[in-house]
Amino acid sequence: MQLKHIDRGGALVAIAVMAGLPLVFDSRYLMGVLTVAAIYGIWSVSWDFMSGLTGRENFGHSLFIGVGAYAAGFLNTAWGVNAWWSLPAGMLAAVVFALIMGIPTLRLKGPYFALAMLSGAVIMQRLMLIFWEYTGGEEGINGIEPLIRSPLHFYWFVLGMLVLTVVLLGGLARSHWGLILKAIRGDEATCQAAGLNVTYYKIASLVISAAFAGMGGALYAHYQLQVSPQLFAVVTSITIITMVYVGGMSTIYGPIGGALLLTLMTELLRNFGEWRLMVYSVALILILFFLPQGLVAPTWQKIRHRLAGGQP
Amino acid sequence: MSLLSVRHLDKRFGGLHAVKDISLEVQQGEILGILGPNGAGKTTLYNLLTGFIKPDNGEVLLDGQSLLGIASHKVVGLGVARTFQLCRPFVGLTVLENVMVGSLGPRVPAVDLEKRAHRLLDQVGLAGKAHAPSELLSYGDLRRLEIARALATEPRLLLLDEPFAGLGSGEIAALSDLIRQLHSEQGLTILLIEHKLREFMQLVSQVVAIDFGQVIATGTPQDIVKNPKVIEAYIGKQDTDYAA
Repeated sequence: MQLKHIDRGGALVAIAVMAGLPLVFDSRYLMGVLTVAAIYGIWSVSWDFMSGLTGRENFGHSLFIGVGAYAAGFLNTAWGVNAWWSLPAGMLAAVVFALIMGIPTLRLKGPYFALAMLSGAVIMQRLMLIFWEYTGGEEGINGIEPLIRSPLHFYWFVLGMLVLTVVLLGGLARSHWGLILKAIRGDEATCQAAGLNVTYYKIASLVISAAFAGMGGALYAHYQLQVSPQLFAVVTSITIITMVYVGGMSTIYGPIGGALLLTLMTELLRNFGEWRLMVYSVALILILFFLPQGLVAPTWQKIRHRLAGGQP
Repeated sequence: MSLLSVRHLDKRFGGLHAVKDISLEVQQGEILGILGPNGAGKTTLYNLLTGFIKPDNGEVLLDGQSLLGIASHKVVGLGVARTFQLCRPFVGLTVLENVMVGSLGPRVPAVDLEKRAHRLLDQVGLAGKAHAPSELLSYGDLRRLEIARALATEPRLLLLDEPFAGLGSGEIAALSDLIRQLHSEQGLTILLIEHKLREFMQLVSQVVAIDFGQVIATGTPQDIVKNPKVIEAYIGKQDTDYAA
């Protein structure tokens, strides 16, 4: 019972700090970094929900992000639809793609799902260039309206959506649903022997994961006020996976810490000039080598046990 | 009418004729044993019965309803549960959670799942280990866990695949008692594949002996051990098969 209160308290402190930072440091730059970190948080939490829990790695999360962002961009610029429709539209577009990708590949065992997601993202990136008359090619879609005029209020809104994502997906992960997804990671044949329709649960969890990724994509489109084929890039997916690993796989809340840490690290290392990428990579390798369970979630586990008086 | 009837079941894997025209009947409330040397097609038969693989020919009826073409998870929903020859716990879940997963299918109403899982663990003798990580269990405990998880699906028919494999004699006696108890107290119908002849013969009421994918004899344990074909196929192999 006490651990539950400590978790709630920790979450409230974290939210308060995140929300209060731009008030303490009056900097547009910091607010931008935090907004991007919060959006990455939504993406990595949604990745963790499907891939972290079921163990079926999705190497093309950027597909859902890009599709969500482009849906938002199209509706807002080409058809002049109110910006607030972008969030449900981004979710819906990502869900459609999750069904297209998931139904044929998640029935199969083996690496087909991971490979299909990877190539799906790459193919969409190419298609955005091939159909440049409609997508704007390399330039992408420009002139997207902001969702909220004030950058501070927009940041708070994104933070609110991140909290909503974690509460919903974390709640699902702790329910019987989450137990089934973790059992699928353990052994699919045994799940079938327990009477569970493994394919259904895998596809449904991908759909849920995609919906939140697409919503994050739409938020990103309204932050950048522009979308480009770069959104589908493989490197985006890899960054998200790294954030989840650093945060602590299948913990749902851990990846937010990973997203924050890695986004801040990217910015702080700018002083290293051309050595930046190398320092960043070495730091990541060290974290993953010495802390295979991740950094953020295991650290929080230690803190809460200490706060609870040492009992495990 | 028999609970499960298998008629002219046939399965080939390329050139290997794994199951050849097997027919058998499982009566409500009996323990039927399936006997046969390694590679005789016993596990393939289980996989066919539970929808894990599809037969080339033949018919499987549960209470008169065909099980062919029904996905494996739906077969469980109809009340046929199985254990695996090699224990396959859900790694990363506790013992209790492993059993709870068995009750999450549509067959079992989703109330008091945790209480139900505790009761099953109590029944199989794992009550003290409910919160242990399942991958830390001993081999004998993993067998009990397999059975508890299968029972969590509330089966009418339980298919046990070599439950005594790899167990010591004390563990075998305890597990035998458990199987006997499930049969006598809960009236569970059980299909049993086993190599450990002595315990097997004491448990089952009827035996179907299989070799090279075919039924070579059917009868009571007393008849089966005297059957020359069975002695040739199974007991006869004991001379060279020291591991058995």
